[in-house]
Amino acid sequence: MSAADNSPQPARAPRRGLARLLPTGRTLVIAIPMLWLLVFFLVPFFVLGRISLAEAIIARPPYSPLFERDAEGTLAIIASLENYRFLLQDALYRNAYVSSIRIAAISTLFALLIGYPIAYYIARSPEPRRTILLLMVVLPFWTSFLLRVYAWQGFLRREGLINNTLISLGIIDQPLVMMQTDFAVYIGIVYTYLPFMILPLYANLTKLDGALLEAANDLGASPMVTFFTVTLPLSLPGIVAGSMLVFIPAIGEYVIPALLGGPDTLMIGRVLWDEFFQARDWPVASAVAIVMLVLVVAPIMWLQSVQNRRELQ
Amino acid sequence: MNTPNRTATATASAMALALGATGAAQADVVNVFNWSDYITEEVLELFTEETGIRVVYDVYDSNDTLEARLLAGATGFDVVVPTADFMQRQIAVGVYQPLNRDLLPNMEHMDPGLMGQAASFDPGNEHGVIYMWGTTGIGYNIDAIAERFGDDFEVDTWSLVFDPEMIAQVADCGVAFLDSATDMLPAAMNYLGLDPQSTDPADFEAAAELLESVRPHVRYFHNSQYISDLANGEICVAIGWSGDVFQAADRAEEADRGVNVWYAIPDEGAMQWFDMMAIPVDAPNPENAHAFINFIMRPDITAMITNYVWYANANASSWEMVDEDIITDPAIFPPQEVLDNLFTAVTYDGRTDRLITRLWTRVRTGQ
Amino acid sequence: MNPQAPDPLLPVAARPAGAPLAAEACPWTDPAARPFIAIRHVTKRFGDFTAVNDVSLNIYRGELFCLLGGSGCGKSTLLRMLAGFEKPTEGQILLDGQDMAHVPPDRRPTNMMFQSYALFPHMTVEKNVAYGLLREGKSKAEAYARVAEMLKLVKLEPFARRKPHQLSGGQRQRVALARALIKQPKLLLLDEPLGALDKKLREETQFELIRIQETLGVTFIVVTHDQDEAMTLATRIGVMDDGVIRQVGEPHQIYEEPASRYVADFIGTVNLFEGQVAMAAPDMMRVDTPALGAVNTRPVPGLTRGQTVWLAIRPERIGLSRERPAGDANTVQGVVDDVAYRGHMSSYRVRLAGGQMLRVTQSNLDRDADPISWDEPVFASFSPAATRVLTE
Ligand SMILES: Nc1ncnc2c1ncn2[C@@H]1O[C@H](COP(=O)(O)OP(=O)(O)O)[C@@H](O)[C@H]1O
Ligand SMILES: [Mg+2]
Repeated sequence: MSAADNSPQPARAPRRGLARLLPTGRTLVIAIPMLWLLVFFLVPFFVLGRISLAEAIIARPPYSPLFERDAEGTLAIIASLENYRFLLQDALYRNAYVSSIRIAAISTLFALLIGYPIAYYIARSPEPRRTILLLMVVLPFWTSFLLRVYAWQGFLRREGLINNTLISLGIIDQPLVMMQTDFAVYIGIVYTYLPFMILPLYANLTKLDGALLEAANDLGASPMVTFFTVTLPLSLPGIVAGSMLVFIPAIGEYVIPALLGGPDTLMIGRVLWDEFFQARDWPVASAVAIVMLVLVVAPIMWLQSVQNRRELQ
Repeated sequence: MNTPNRTATATASAMALALGATGAAQADVVNVFNWSDYITEEVLELFTEETGIRVVYDVYDSNDTLEARLLAGATGFDVVVPTADFMQRQIAVGVYQPLNRDLLPNMEHMDPGLMGQAASFDPGNEHGVIYMWGTTGIGYNIDAIAERFGDDFEVDTWSLVFDPEMIAQVADCGVAFLDSATDMLPAAMNYLGLDPQSTDPADFEAAAELLESVRPHVRYFHNSQYISDLANGEICVAIGWSGDVFQAADRAEEADRGVNVWYAIPDEGAMQWFDMMAIPVDAPNPENAHAFINFIMRPDITAMITNYVWYANANASSWEMVDEDIITDPAIFPPQEVLDNLFTAVTYDGRTDRLITRLWTRVRTGQ
Repeated sequence: MNPQAPDPLLPVAARPAGAPLAAEACPWTDPAARPFIAIRHVTKRFGDFTAVNDVSLNIYRGELFCLLGGSGCGKSTLLRMLAGFEKPTEGQILLDGQDMAHVPPDRRPTNMMFQSYALFPHMTVEKNVAYGLLREGKSKAEAYARVAEMLKLVKLEPFARRKPHQLSGGQRQRVALARALIKQPKLLLLDEPLGALDKKLREETQFELIRIQETLGVTFIVVTHDQDEAMTLATRIGVMDDGVIRQVGEPHQIYEEPASRYVADFIGTVNLFEGQVAMAAPDMMRVDTPALGAVNTRPVPGLTRGQTVWLAIRPERIGLSRERPAGDANTVQGVVDDVAYRGHMSSYRVRLAGGQMLRVTQSNLDRDADPISWDEPVFASFSPAATRVLTE
């Protein structure tokens, strides 16, 4: 050991000269995710925001410029909230948002109802089995999400596995119409996002101390009452995290309703697509996207602030 | 195998849009962006063999995808294949460069009549030549129709899908419509005796009302799902694109499970469309692009493509080399009296685009 | 649930900690007394590992029974079988005459205080304590009135609205106790109740536990690995080792009359010497040992000449002196090898002629000006009554 190691050192030596200009390790660690957010979230967000204030024109790119020089050469900013007003005028958009939120919420609920027991079972399983089960939960990620959703068509079709099985068992004599219904969309979303529900719940439930369950049982709570008074409230953070991970992407879901949904499955993702590709109205499409983002981000921020407040207490 | 498919899913196009192939400006490369399953690999290999130019080939499945990329700019593509009505609007924006006819000697093989029709979108055929063309008609399951309407019934009218009483009789075995306002609204207007090229909002409204009246019997709206569904008996009637329905027929035959599919151009008339080869204004290798287009226009090459994808071409000199059962099929190469009954699409302005998009959403979703 | 339980706040005559009980308070000495808990030939196996091995034990109403043993000897497992968390592989447990085999934990008139306390982290102290009452279907008003009384008993009133993570270790321990007691169980099971506390707090809390047990008159079974704790708390102690109960008895019995070398060695410090019985008469006995020579011992019935036995002698029962003491005490000679001053007493290691060490402790009450020190030759002496002859 060197002598310098023994001599008392100030906790943080002041940085001198040029070193002051270099980032410290800590700022670097914070800077990387910040940069990521900036490049992949904030910049596109501002680009969208800027397009949403423009006007659709037939040009390349197909929207009006933000700055324009008039005859005298003075620079004018051309921005208008017209596109947002437009969204308010037509009930279609409101209905699409509401319907997207409804579909996402119902899917989230079912993902929770299905995912919770699975997560619970895995968390309570002994070690070798637990790893295998966890692997099975994430295994579907090894194949393309598109293929997996397509595969559901094979189950749900008129001549699909489910109908053929039910008919051959004599349970039904006419095939059930499942494809191109909201039911199929729910199945698709719940199936696709189930791992995002299971994993945070699992992470939460493995931390649950078995002694708490025994304590409740000992104090006269049946296993059912124990679940509702102890397990469930303690797993609330996992429920919230899992639900967010399912709910948020489900709101903007485009592919699943496109592949499994029926004509009247109205979701904002499809409206956005139509605005962008069919109406060729990039500004309105951008406005639709921005509103959607706000609708999604607002509840998260609210939740976060509630949680912060609770922690402060 | 014979697998022409002018469309795929909207999803794949979204991915193509996100990932994209960025063409490179190299002397020995041509970057081609075409519809999926719209060519045979052999043609590309032959081209490289003969010219030494490598082909970087990428595919899309909807005009909307192509247009979004062209308008965003700097696509890096040398040759693209828009449908003529889309091309017209894109020309107005200045997306394409004029073709250099000196580099396209094979132009002489093109049929003047068909090229003349295409010229209504691209005056003087200055920016594009026809790659393939087709119609939007009715694909159907022969046995399912015979079972419901009798053996003598011939599918020769749009009533099958636009008359609520008739469509109700096939609803149980499944009806699919194209999810394309620019195909469906003109078809409905034509059936109502209105001008299919009208841009009068009242005419669109009438078409939308007609479509809404039959919508309860429509299982889904989609641009490619019907190919496999027709082929495996999942649905029995579809409004679709000619080559795609033939692909379904071909698949059904190969599967050999007793499903027989065919295509009809109804007597009331149908939309005829042209897919055009064109060169973006910022193409990195315009000479190679011209060489590619000229190569495609060689009669033996065009014939090779038609024989593979079952779409009609506009290359008059190639027709003697097209397979007998394709060239004589009235649903692919229609006789003159049918041709006279076809109509083409028109290019809509922004206001009309918005109107029909909105009407179409209403038809599709009931909103 | 437990109608005959006494009013929790009705005081019962207190017993000084660790003191022997009056005869009428010692039902285990009365063969006619009915045990409150009867454990009969209970065995528990996990796979092919036997955690509890053929244990039979009677515990009586009002006892504070300590299960004492090293870590992993099966104490918790036995306790958990009483609570109903584990099912005995073999044997039977009767509680107040009723077979518990098919009674689930939530239907047993027992409550448990967990080693880790197992307080519900999402509930306030008040809600934790009220939990058991609310499960019984008591009205909220009634439940919280009782909670207030119970919090008073464990001196936690000011903390009713806190969450467990806002409490100190000692406070948490008292919440766990209050929660387990509020249902007035016939039997309270405590698994290392003081294990998580520091030494000083632990000692204070021991007396607190006794106070509460006596106040409520509830039967306690306490698991501990700490012999001092067991000595302080227990009416009786069961010494466990390797799944087996080695000895059951009142603290002074366990200490003064250990039944085996294991128990003698486990409880306190002891000198153990092997030897053979040289003479066994009803009124006196002599044992020959290589280390101490011939030793006169307390007579033990049933021993025969030549039998191998062990002598256990507690260090505090041995006297040290420079001169050979008069009288008929056993005396050995040795040299002081080590001395440790421990405040109220000093402990010595005396090297005997054969090289063995003898531990001796001397009270410092009458410490003279010239205490025995290192390397001094000394005489160690102990009366026959100070010896205990062990056969196992
Ligand atoms: N559920 C179980 N499965 C397997 N072995 C167990 C289980 N519970 C306890 N044991 C084993 O039984 C033995 C006794 O454990 P325990 O009763 O907890 O001991 P302690 O006396 O320290 O409280 C230990 O060796 C422990 O590993
Ligand atoms: Mg233990």
